Amino acid sequence: MRDADADAGSCRGGVDTAAAPAGGAPPAHAPGPGRDAASAARGSRMRPHIFTLSVPFPTPLEAEIAHGSLAPDAEPHQRVVGKDLTVSGRILVVRWKAEDCRLLRISVINFLDQLSLVVRTMQRFGPPVSR
Amino acid sequence: MARCWRTRGGLTSRLLAQVGFLPGDTARHHRAVILDLLQEALTESGLTSQDIDCIAYTKGPGMGAPLVSVAVVARTVAQLWNKPLVGVNHCIGHIEMGRLITGATSPTVLYVSGGNTQVIAYSEHRYRIFGETIDIAVGNCLDRFARVLKISNDPSPGYNIEQMAKRGKKLVELPYTVKGMDVSFSGILSFIEDVAHRMLATGECTPEDLCFSLQETVFAMLVEITERAMAHCGSQEALIVGGVGCNVRLQEMMATMCQERGARLFATDERFCIDNGAMIAQAGWEMFRAGHRTPLSDSGVTQRYRTDEVEVTWRD
Repeated sequence: MRDADADAGSCRGGVDTAAAPAGGAPPAHAPGPGRDAASAARGSRMRPHIFTLSVPFPTPLEAEIAHGSLAPDAEPHQRVVGKDLTVSGRILVVRWKAEDCRLLRISVINFLDQLSLVVRTMQRFGPPVSR
Repeated sequence: MARCWRTRGGLTSRLLAQVGFLPGDTARHHRAVILDLLQEALTESGLTSQDIDCIAYTKGPGMGAPLVSVAVVARTVAQLWNKPLVGVNHCIGHIEMGRLITGATSPTVLYVSGGNTQVIAYSEHRYRIFGETIDIAVGNCLDRFARVLKISNDPSPGYNIEQMAKRGKKLVELPYTVKGMDVSFSGILSFIEDVAHRMLATGECTPEDLCFSLQETVFAMLVEITERAMAHCGSQEALIVGGVGCNVRLQEMMATMCQERGARLFATDERFCIDNGAMIAQAGWEMFRAGHRTPLSDSGVTQRYRTDEVEVTWRD
């Protein structure tokens, strides 16, 4: 799955920048079956693409805030690309499942843009007030 | 906290120059400017985050990516500052700002922009849609007409059509499509796409004549459906909101119709006709006062959001 690996590489760089306050390189990886044109043509009888992104934050509260900001909006091509977001300690975990490689790539890129905006917002207008 | 959103340095005309506003480019623009704008608003108003009562944002309708770009910031600051969130319908933002600025009490509203064309009247806790476009918005029709005639986008196609129309002398007959309470603009657009170049080449008319004829035709259609709604409601007030509401010719034609009915016409100037953040804040304030809150889980944006879906609890 060369495309996703390349994206994972650039993801890693992008997420590093975006998650600057978190510190450390987050493990962005893309396991999943390789696909060539022939197997793509065989359609959805192949296993779907899976892409997982783990974004660490300085505190669990900030991970929850990022989750609260990024989870509510629906994916545009819900039948073909879906994602779910969970928080595990101070890590925001995003897991994609997609039939189509191109739409997966677009969704991941769009998500990273919005994630970057959330992180910049937290840097600029944070830290969270005490509850 | 009230702040009007402004594009920076002619960005609007560059964004529009392609085939209308593209969602991706628009979203990129919003992401690039939003945090500075938020900071400016706080600084200019002299407020701190703790002075804020609630965060109002546009839930829809509109283009997906730009809506999301703003919503994620709204949700983030709401959580950072521990303030409630209020998701606002964009059309209702226009209506509430129009009511505030003009003082109209219960007008029949003509909402006309690049993305929307509706005739709305308030009844029993809903902004009811009495009539609307069955295809494209009137602003969209004007913008695409301008593109066919290669009219400049700077400052906006609608503004340039309006200026050229003033120099038009000949009324060219264009398709006039009113269907009951509704209007349709795709016919006039395909007509123009077919015949404009031929008519201009033969010297049958000038681009100014076409601009004049387009305005007279589409605005007459809007006046007709507004009048029909006013007759239904026995309304003595009309209010124009939305970017196309800046057009002085439309205001004149609506004023004539209102005068004939003994009704009053209200309109705002360009600071408030065109999409702006303050209108979302205004509607958000009304909603917040009436007890509306948008839980995070319900705060997702939506490209389709009918004006009559909202329960207008802040009015009797």
